[in-house]
Amino acid sequence: MNGYASAGVAVVLTGVALAVGIYLVAIGDRLLASLVGGGGIGWRTAVVRPAQRATLLLLQQRLTTEPSDAPGWALAPAFFLALAAVALAMVPVARGRAAADPATGFVVFSAAIALVMIAVFLHGWSPDAALPLHGAYRYGAQALSFQIPFLLAMLAAALPAQSLSIVDIVAAQDTVWNVIRTPLGLPLFLIVGASVSSWGPVNLADAADIAGGTSAEDSGVGRLLWQTARYGMLVAVAAMGGALFLGGWWGPLLPGPFWVILKTVVLLLAFLAAGHLLARVRTETFVVVSWAVLIPLALVNIFFTGAFLL
Amino acid sequence: MGLSAALRAFAAGAEAPIFAIAGLGARDAVQDLRLRRELRLVDSPRSASILLVAGVVPEALAEAVARAHDAMPRPRASVRWHLDEAAPGGAESLRASVSASATDDVVAVVRRTFVELINGARDSEPAILPDVDPAPWRGVGPFGQGGSGMTGGRPFGRPMAEMGDDRDGLRLDVLPLTVGPFFTRLPAGLTLELRLAGDLVDEASLFPNPFAGAAVPASRLRPALRPFIRALSEPVPIRELELARARAHLRWLADALVAQQLESLGRRTLALAAHMMPDDLARVQALGRALRRTQVYRWSLADVGRLDGSRLEHLGAGPVARAAGLTEDARTDDPAYRALGFEPVVQSAGDTAARWKQRLLETMQALDLAARAGELRTEPSGRIEGPRGLLTLDSAPSDRLAPLVPALLAGLEWSDALAALISLDLDLEESAAVQPAAERTVA
Repeated sequence: MNGYASAGVAVVLTGVALAVGIYLVAIGDRLLASLVGGGGIGWRTAVVRPAQRATLLLLQQRLTTEPSDAPGWALAPAFFLALAAVALAMVPVARGRAAADPATGFVVFSAAIALVMIAVFLHGWSPDAALPLHGAYRYGAQALSFQIPFLLAMLAAALPAQSLSIVDIVAAQDTVWNVIRTPLGLPLFLIVGASVSSWGPVNLADAADIAGGTSAEDSGVGRLLWQTARYGMLVAVAAMGGALFLGGWWGPLLPGPFWVILKTVVLLLAFLAAGHLLARVRTETFVVVSWAVLIPLALVNIFFTGAFLL
Repeated sequence: MGLSAALRAFAAGAEAPIFAIAGLGARDAVQDLRLRRELRLVDSPRSASILLVAGVVPEALAEAVARAHDAMPRPRASVRWHLDEAAPGGAESLRASVSASATDDVVAVVRRTFVELINGARDSEPAILPDVDPAPWRGVGPFGQGGSGMTGGRPFGRPMAEMGDDRDGLRLDVLPLTVGPFFTRLPAGLTLELRLAGDLVDEASLFPNPFAGAAVPASRLRPALRPFIRALSEPVPIRELELARARAHLRWLADALVAQQLESLGRRTLALAAHMMPDDLARVQALGRALRRTQVYRWSLADVGRLDGSRLEHLGAGPVARAAGLTEDARTDDPAYRALGFEPVVQSAGDTAARWKQRLLETMQALDLAARAGELRTEPSGRIEGPRGLLTLDSAPSDRLAPLVPALLAGLEWSDALAALISLDLDLEESAAVQPAAERTVA
């Protein structure tokens, strides 16, 4: 039962979902910042400020460095945002329905996550400046380390459905959610999800200690697009996490789409809270833990899922 | 109203993004701006609309200020904030179209400038420095390639990677990089010359203090430093000193937290520091618990930048030394402190995490001392235990810690090197206030 919505519907649906999600992240981040840091702000301010800031960035000059790779610099955020849209389009929105549901949705999503490395590296490399380049290489180390545990965690989620279609994977969770069948899958998925969005404790590429890392030289619309793309990737990952591990559209009483949105929002809140409550992880710690701890754990996770299915 | 004007009016409601440069006397005042919702202090001039130059900025830093100015995207403006109206001082070349005095509400001035800038009532400022290549290209080929020496190994004035020594079995190119003087995570004026092999610091050295050289009158120092300078030569209430110490530690923590990507918690710490009183002990303890829950001691700072007690002996390095197991503390020599039963708090690990914990413990100890001190005053003896260590009439702890920096940072990843450097709490202003008489020149 694989298929696609018509192109127009798919583009509009994905675009609207992405835009709304990105704006909700911007609002939620502000509210949480004032909750944790004090100096409360009102709802009105929290809702209007992101739009004002975006407008300000639109009006600002977009500076470049003299020896920059201009096409690369311009393309990186667009590519990143496109990857977020592709990832989001794979997420089922209601029983048996997704904007795009190819038989290999799982592979498409994983490929989008893997290709983020190209976008981040291009973004850090093209200004030809020390701090962005530093961030780019850090992301290289980070992405190479999380790729294997990430795929193993995803595979464990696909195992019960015996299918690589995301809709089938969600449909197979009608009785038991994957979060129970593959208990380590969701934590692993969330670590990777935050990493690809350069978010919170695992934000190494755009880190504070390198003054914003790959985006240290960004200004104007370039900065706006890059931050938007990061938020967009966070939304896509949260939505996919809800589908793969929290049973997607399944839930009592209320209609499927409501549950999809609710689960996405819950995971987004987890991401936002982690961003304000957890300290930055050292690059070395991240790499060592990925290879030495997360890969074995992800294998154990697959064995556990297999045993559960037997 | 046209669409463009409407958009501009809307954008003017955003927080004004400012890149702030804190000169002498302005560090705390600039830090306090983080508590204001109308502004946003940004990490790079690239994302700022307003350059705020606060306090006294010496001539030696004037060119760097100009470069920060020119790195801002248009529309841009700069605001000069004089904290000492009687003697503004500092580099003559730092012109600014807008200036604010100590009595002005600087936030209102910045907001007004920002709104005018965005809605078009104020022109964007032109570049200060001429737009020329820092090193002209001297190659012979059609694309500027080839030739002997090219631009002396610095194409476009930028350093090229060079071959470095074999460090750990992996021979990497080494990139020379200067961090500072306005690197956002370090105190303004601190400049670090690095040679990076990948993200490892191969060699590091500190530039001399740009604020040193001229005697700094006490009225120009930031208010938080003044009690300690006064205590060198006159009796000062212990309550005042210990409160200033507790605030200084929390102000340091507020900045250090931002480097660990805990900006919100940093803001909470800063709010606490700005209005701290002895009965805030419970809030500091709650902050300590919140800090532990962030895992910062476990996965960010543990085992980073370890300093052995043997390297710190007799340096008077204050919390840094006590975090490494030394009991050195000038307060033990003061009869008033002895009357209060003062005993230095000591830890043994000596790493960056220990220095963080040490400052938090000393904050709590300082609040306890302040609460019990009553009217007790110190006995002036020309030496006093400041928040960063032993302060005497002619030397500050930062001067004695700075020579340790190259060995401390070598071999660390940049993020660890930065965390270790921040944990030393080097204070250029304090050094400038108590330099040896021989090095002083008339201001």
